[in-house]
Amino acid sequence: MKLWYSFTKELKLSSKSFYFYIEIGMAAIFLAILLLVIPETFTTKTTEYVYLDLPEEVSSYMMDAMIENDLDGEPEIVELKVDGEKEEFDMYVSDDKKIVMLNSAEEVVELADKERKFGAVISWKDNALSYDYYMQGYESEKLRNLYKVFHNKNADELMENFDSQEVVKLSEGFEGLTDRENVLPAFLTFNGSLMGLFIIAAYVFLDKKEGIITAYAITASPVSNYLLSKVGVVMVTSLVTSLIITIPIMGLQPNYLMLILFLLCSGFFASNLGLVITSFYNNIMQAFGVIYMIMIALLLPNIAYFMPSWDPAFVKFIPSYYFLASFRESILPDGDMTYVLMTSLGFLGLGVILFLYGNYRFKKTLTL
Amino acid sequence: MIQVKNLHHSYNKDDQFAVKDISFEVKEGEIFGFLGPSGAGKSTTQGILTGLLQLQKGEVTVAGYNVKKMDNKMFNKIGMSFEISNVYSKMTAYENLDFYRKLFDCETRDPNELIKLVGLDGKEKIKTGEFSKGMSHRLTFARSMINNPTLWFLDEPTTGLDPAIASVIKDIIKEEKKKGTTIFLTTHNMHIADELCDRVAFIVDGEIRLIDSPRNLKLQYGDQLVEVEYIKNGETVKESFSTVLEDDKKKLQEIIAHYQIETMHTKEATLEEIFIKVTGRELV
Repeated sequence: MKLWYSFTKELKLSSKSFYFYIEIGMAAIFLAILLLVIPETFTTKTTEYVYLDLPEEVSSYMMDAMIENDLDGEPEIVELKVDGEKEEFDMYVSDDKKIVMLNSAEEVVELADKERKFGAVISWKDNALSYDYYMQGYESEKLRNLYKVFHNKNADELMENFDSQEVVKLSEGFEGLTDRENVLPAFLTFNGSLMGLFIIAAYVFLDKKEGIITAYAITASPVSNYLLSKVGVVMVTSLVTSLIITIPIMGLQPNYLMLILFLLCSGFFASNLGLVITSFYNNIMQAFGVIYMIMIALLLPNIAYFMPSWDPAFVKFIPSYYFLASFRESILPDGDMTYVLMTSLGFLGLGVILFLYGNYRFKKTLTL
Repeated sequence: MIQVKNLHHSYNKDDQFAVKDISFEVKEGEIFGFLGPSGAGKSTTQGILTGLLQLQKGEVTVAGYNVKKMDNKMFNKIGMSFEISNVYSKMTAYENLDFYRKLFDCETRDPNELIKLVGLDGKEKIKTGEFSKGMSHRLTFARSMINNPTLWFLDEPTTGLDPAIASVIKDIIKEEKKKGTTIFLTTHNMHIADELCDRVAFIVDGEIRLIDSPRNLKLQYGDQLVEVEYIKNGETVKESFSTVLEDDKKKLQEIIAHYQIETMHTKEATLEEIFIKVTGRELV
C-alpha cells in the first residue's frame, strides 16, 4: 500500500512538473517529424548532367534508349542557370536516375565546377564510346574504380556476371517496413528509454535539492519504495509518450502486447541506470557530463541501425543496440516475438540488478 | 531509549574521525540536548541514530532497535524535525502531512490538528512552495509529530522563527515531554537548551567533553554572584558580590542597610559561558 501511495503521489507531482511536459512535447515533436518531414519512402535517385558528343546515328540510338527507359516516355523540361543565364534542358527520369541532357562539353564543365554537379561527356573515339566524368573530388576510391572497371571491361560480360549472381532469400513472404516506419525504433529508443534515464535523474536531483529523500528515509516506508515509485512514474510516462508516437504511424500493425512489454522492460532498465548514476552525485550539474556521455554511447547503435555495413563488435555490447532490434521486431508484421520476449526478460533482469545496486547506494548516501 | 557505546565515524573511512569514541545514554522521557558548534559532530551522530548514516564502529541502540540491523518498523516510534525544511513544494500543507501519515504503520495524528497546533491554520490548502521559510519550518516540525513518536529528534527547532512562534514551539516540546516523549535536541542555541533540557552533552571536534544537567553545570562551573546598583553620594554605583565569600556577604548586607538599592539580582553563569569555559571554544 505504501508503494501505491508513493507511486500515486509521484504521478500527481510529475503531472505538475516541467519535465513531464518536456516528455509530452518531445513525443509531439517526434510525431510531427515522422509525419511531416520523413517521407513514406526515401528516393535515392541521382541526377547526372550529360553531353553526347557523338555521331548522329549513335546519339539518336542512345536518346531512343533513354526515352524507352523514361517513366512517362517523354522528357521533362528543367531550367538551369548556365553562364549566368537561365536555359531550358530535357531531363529523362528512369527508375534509378535522372539525366539532364546538356548542349556542350563546356556546359558540363561549368555545372560541375560552379554548381557542384556530377557531369559526363560521352564521345566517340577509335570506333568506341569514350566517357569523361566530371566529379567533385570527394567521391570514394571504390566509386572511381567502379567507373574504371565498368568501361575497361566488356559491358556485356559484366552484365552476364551480374545476372549470374545467385541471390538466396532466407525467408519468403517477408514484409518490411517503409522508410518512415523504419525510423520509428530509433525514436522509441530515444524517447521511450533514453529520455527516461535523463528524466529520472532530473526528478531525483530535484528531490535531493529539497531534502525530500532524507525526510522519506525517516518513515516506516523503505527507501526502495521511494525509488520504485520514481521508476514507475518514468515507465508510465515513457509508455504513454511512446504510444503517442507509435499509434498514428503504425496503426494496428504492431504486436502491441510485446511492444508494451518491451517498452516497460527497457524503460525499467534505463530508469534504473539513471538511478545508479544519480546516486553518485548531488546535483544535475555534477552528473550532467556522465549522463551526456552515456546517452551519446547509447545513441551509437543508431549508426549501425541505419548503416548496416558499420557494425563493429563493440556496438553489440551497448544495450540500445537491442532496444532498436526489439522495437523493430515488435512493429514488423512478421516480427520475431521470441526475440522481443527474450530481450524484455534480459532487460528486466539487468534492471533488477541495477535497482538493487541503486537502492544500496541511496541508503548509503542519504545525507549527502 | 538511546544507548551509544564507543561510536566512531569517518566520512573517508580513514583516521579522520568526524565522531571519536563517543558514549552516552538518553533515558526514557527526558530531553537530552546535544550541543556544540558547527562541525562538532552533532549532525553525524544524529544521522547515525536515525539511520541516515551507516554505523561504522560502535554500538548504537535506538528505541530498542540495534541500528546495525535497521528495521523500518523502528521509524514508527521515531519523529525527526530537520533544521532545513524539506517538504514537497508542489503539494499543499495538508497534502504533505496526509502523504507522510500513510507511510507509517501506527496510529497517526490528524494533519489539520497539527497544522493548527503550529499556527498554520487557514494555510492547509496553500502549496508549500508559497510558504515563507518560517512557515515551511513549522510544517516540517508538525510533520515530525504525525506518527506520535516516542523518540523525537529535533534539529534546531526554533532557528529562523520569530520569538512568538519560537515560544509556541517550545511550549509544544514541553507538552510532548509531559506525555512521556523522549526528545533528542540538537542545537547550538544555549538558551533553548537551558530552558528545555534535562541533561546536555557538550560535543567539540567529534568528542563529548561533558554530560550533565544545566543546573548541575551552573552549580559546578558558574560563579555565584549578586549584582547590585545603589545610590551613594547622589551617584549610581554598580558592584558585584560573591554569595560564597564571607567578606562579600558582609559588604552586601551593609549596602542593603545603608543605601538606596536601585536594582539587585543574582547573576548565574550562562550555559554558553560554561561551554566556553569547559571546551575553550565559541559556539559558532
